[in-house]
Amino acid sequence: MSIDHVLMFRLTLYWNIKTVLFLLCPVWIIYEQVMIAALDCSRDDLAWTCLQELKRQFPGSQRVKRLAGMRLEALEKYEDASKQYDSILQDDPTNTAARKRKISILKAQGKSVEAIRELNEYLEQFVGDQEAWHELSELYINEHDYGKAAFCLEELMMTNPHNHLYCEQYAEVKYTQGGLENLELSRKYFAQALKLNNRNMRALFGLYMSASHIAASPKVNATVKKANVKYAAWATNQINRAYQVRYASSKRNEMDSTFQGDD
Amino acid sequence: MSWRRWLAMGEVELSCLAYVKMYLHACLFPRCSVNGLLLSSSPAGGAVCVTDCVPLLHTHLPLAPITQLALTQVDVWCAQTQQRIVGYYQANACVSDSSPTPCALKIADKIAEQCNNAVLLMIDGGKMSPDYRVPPIVMYERKDTRWTLKDKHTIMLRQWEETRDIASQLLDSGDHSLLVDFDSHLDDITRDWTNQKLNAKIAELASPANGNV
Repeated sequence: MSIDHVLMFRLTLYWNIKTVLFLLCPVWIIYEQVMIAALDCSRDDLAWTCLQELKRQFPGSQRVKRLAGMRLEALEKYEDASKQYDSILQDDPTNTAARKRKISILKAQGKSVEAIRELNEYLEQFVGDQEAWHELSELYINEHDYGKAAFCLEELMMTNPHNHLYCEQYAEVKYTQGGLENLELSRKYFAQALKLNNRNMRALFGLYMSASHIAASPKVNATVKKANVKYAAWATNQINRAYQVRYASSKRNEMDSTFQGDD
Repeated sequence: MSWRRWLAMGEVELSCLAYVKMYLHACLFPRCSVNGLLLSSSPAGGAVCVTDCVPLLHTHLPLAPITQLALTQVDVWCAQTQQRIVGYYQANACVSDSSPTPCALKIADKIAEQCNNAVLLMIDGGKMSPDYRVPPIVMYERKDTRWTLKDKHTIMLRQWEETRDIASQLLDSGDHSLLVDFDSHLDDITRDWTNQKLNAKIAELASPANGNV
């Protein structure tokens, strides 16, 4: 081999290593995260700097275009932000991030009814998007449409049967809807949430309250009343124990840290 | 210079402690709607003196179970500490809209059943800034089963500039994270929703300025 060949080989190796390192290096993800955090803190100067670096590094990227749109949203330039997202969707109609940002604009403007309509249309196409189902349930709760909020939470519970938070939220919605049937359903789902996570205090209090309300209802027979009184008593017991255990352990931690200072 | 005057009928006084805690609650959860209860340690009748507040929720304000639980627990605590619930405050997530939501009206109605001259206070998110000249609050009172805007001149906030500075100071020093609302208490029940530590800090900062925090 001639010296030229060795040099070419070494140069190629050098550039390959640099490319591999560059691709592995997460610095651009950090730029993206810092930019979003800067928007949250109203630091437009920092957000602008990050955006320029990202634009320089990834010219024509849809992901960077979306970040530019988010910056416009933070500056309350909603029409410009919407145009930005529309241009992303023109190139790629399946870009879910841009569609969700457009719905966020409606939410920021207080247009809940339109946001709900758009989100429903979005979910007809992207039925597996759990973040969207959760957002829709929140929008329905704020509109006091508890029946539809419950439906969204049912979708989430089907795909996440082990998530105690969805069970507990569903139970809260059912409790709010009221009526004996909904109270009984709410009690069952509070119990299910506790089965999945026995430290969920909201579920424990919820179980106590729903069981107490059922027991106090004039529409239930003596057997149901007796059972619910038992459930409420059990929940009270668990709540008292939880407070005793947690306060004892926090007192212990306080004393430990005091004694460590003495060492 | 501190001054005292008797409050006339229909007037509402908001203490430094109550205002600072409400303000910090709204600042701690800028993306969420937050709410809480206004308390008074003064006897009933005549003017309303809001001496303290209890921050309640920052998630799912319209849902019933946790709200009912919180109202019951605060009621019990008030009976033990000779206070009464005299009002309700809320800050909406959407800063452009500071009008009372249906859930705010519902809770305020419930409070008004027990307290004749209960007040409903909405924090105007759009006007919250460290150097704002007037308190960013809008107050409503109950007249003939409807909540109507209260005359601004009947709302007293003594030593406004000092109060505003105390709130900014706590925000800058990061002490606003000491604030515990009922939601946070349910996430970790060792955290104290009566906020004794934060109350003491505010009292310490307020003592040269205010005589009666």
